Amino acid sequence: MKSYNEEALKNDPKANFGRPYKQCTISVMDTIADPDITFDEKGVSNYYKEFKKAKEQNVFNGEKGKQKLVDLVNQIKSKGKNKKYDCITGVSGGVDSTYVALKAKELGLRPLIVHFDNGWNSETANKNIENIIKNTGFDLYTLVVDWNEFRDLQRAYFKANVVDIEALTDHAIICTLYKLAIEHNIEFILSGANVVTEQILPRHWIWGKTDGKNIQAIHQEYGEVKLKTFPTYSAFKFELFKKRKGLRSVRILDYMEYNKKQAKSEIQEKLGWKDYGGKHFESVFTRFYQGYILPVKFGIDKRKAHLSTLIFDGQLTKEYALEQLQLPIYDPDLMREDYEFVRKKLGFSEEEFMNYFKAPRVEHSSFEHDKRNIWENYPLFKVVKPLWKIIKKVK
Amino acid sequence: MPVLLIRNDGLVKSVQFKKHKYVGDPINAVKIFNEKEVDEIIILDIDASAKKEAPNFKLVEKICGESFMPLAYGGGVKTLEDAQKLLYNGAEKIVLNTSLLEQPKVIESIAKQFGNQSVVASIDYRTSLFGKPKVYGFNGSKKTKWTALELAKKAADYGAGEIMLNAIDRDGTYKGYDLETLKTVSSSVDVPVIACGGASGLEDFEEAIKHGAGAVAAGSMFVFQRPHQAVLISYPNSVELNKLNEKL
Repeated sequence: MKSYNEEALKNDPKANFGRPYKQCTISVMDTIADPDITFDEKGVSNYYKEFKKAKEQNVFNGEKGKQKLVDLVNQIKSKGKNKKYDCITGVSGGVDSTYVALKAKELGLRPLIVHFDNGWNSETANKNIENIIKNTGFDLYTLVVDWNEFRDLQRAYFKANVVDIEALTDHAIICTLYKLAIEHNIEFILSGANVVTEQILPRHWIWGKTDGKNIQAIHQEYGEVKLKTFPTYSAFKFELFKKRKGLRSVRILDYMEYNKKQAKSEIQEKLGWKDYGGKHFESVFTRFYQGYILPVKFGIDKRKAHLSTLIFDGQLTKEYALEQLQLPIYDPDLMREDYEFVRKKLGFSEEEFMNYFKAPRVEHSSFEHDKRNIWENYPLFKVVKPLWKIIKKVK
Repeated sequence: MPVLLIRNDGLVKSVQFKKHKYVGDPINAVKIFNEKEVDEIIILDIDASAKKEAPNFKLVEKICGESFMPLAYGGGVKTLEDAQKLLYNGAEKIVLNTSLLEQPKVIESIAKQFGNQSVVASIDYRTSLFGKPKVYGFNGSKKTKWTALELAKKAADYGAGEIMLNAIDRDGTYKGYDLETLKTVSSSVDVPVIACGGASGLEDFEEAIKHGAGAVAAGSMFVFQRPHQAVLISYPNSVELNKLNEKL
């Protein structure tokens, strides 16, 4: 079993994308984590500025936040009057989504709770969701994707050597939320996304979650099973839904003091939530993906981003973060257990699985993908954009 | 104990033996039940006999590799060799349904070889217009000449260590167990009877045990959350179960 050795990576120019190793002076983001990282003359990474900017623009604390939240809640309530549900929200059993459900209850909202079961739920996640439902009295809807299909999709992503295997789950959740929102005539999607605990996310680590085209292309190339129940929408369709149906996603956590530690103790106390250790470790696959696949195959230790965001927000110190990074990402015994479990569940031979961890990364963009954002991809078009807008208006 | 139904390698749950809904990957479900410290689990492949297929030995092996709970397995068991292979692959008990109707001698030979405790006779029945519990074979599709009581007696005579009594009309309805039949059967045979079909909560378990059930089984209650029949595996915790035990 290959393992992640940060010290060795520091001295490997390839792992640092051809640059000498460098770490941000304020946070723990570094050249191993991200080929696109830049530093200013004081050695502060670009992420610091990005965080500050995002926080300034999108996060509203104190009185201002309270007022904004009240306005939003009133709007959701008035638009949802006489409807069975006034909003919809997805739960995974993790901290963010559980906290959103709790806040929705306290704010007097009536969400439909949606869970996506991809065959990898842990017992803890299940129990946490059960407790949310029991303690809030909200209705639950579960999308169970056919395991044969989902396994085939995941196998295809392994064979393609692309980084964002979780895009499959994230995409399916988003599709399900949209689909149900439309079915139940709901306008608001409560999102657990937030600036203060997860703003930093290098592009190198992920791929667009609304890019159904990329999923289909990768599956076309490496998949073996026909997809019947797995939901995919193109990015274009998402835009259409937003425009035609007025669907919108609201990030309520940005309107309050969102402190992870405090949130955890609040949901433990009020909803009987159980900690599973590690961010997003609610699913066995996610645990293995973040704890083993990302670091070992892709040189990505996601904790660097989570910890750095919390440092920027003043929720913890760099010293503490460095100490945390010294610890194994997760329990080595459990990791070995997961390694075999994941291998068997996905149906790979020992050799196939070992070779996967040796094979080089392939970019998502080498498969067909959504190129709708032409303004970004082709700077020349930027000149034409204002004109195009006028034409559209006239039409 | 949970009863899980397998069809095409996927887990399904029925209502009155119809309208099967896909509820996920059996291996993961078993893993979750295992972590919830479930005492025992019953897994039935509902297609094996109808399709005249042999039991899914591989699946049993995989499941047993993921769990420490005793597993009772049914579906397609026709011979002593089938049973032997399943037991070697990790199953603790063998559930027989079609074979009980077609070739009950198999029960005798399994019981002789591996002990009565390793054989569970499964009986599916519907209550007729006149209130008689009539046994149905092949997933409730074929009416037989037997009543539940007659067949239960016969199964016990052949050496079944337990009898699983499954009320088709109540399957997936949350209406509670068929206590009447349960009482009649359990008071007439010497082996423990497992009640199945209709459970919606712990109160139903209590009632069933009071009416003579040796054990209680449920499907929907452990895999669904109402009102949207949202799939979510749950199981009463030890505190709730202890409370129930104290009452009995």
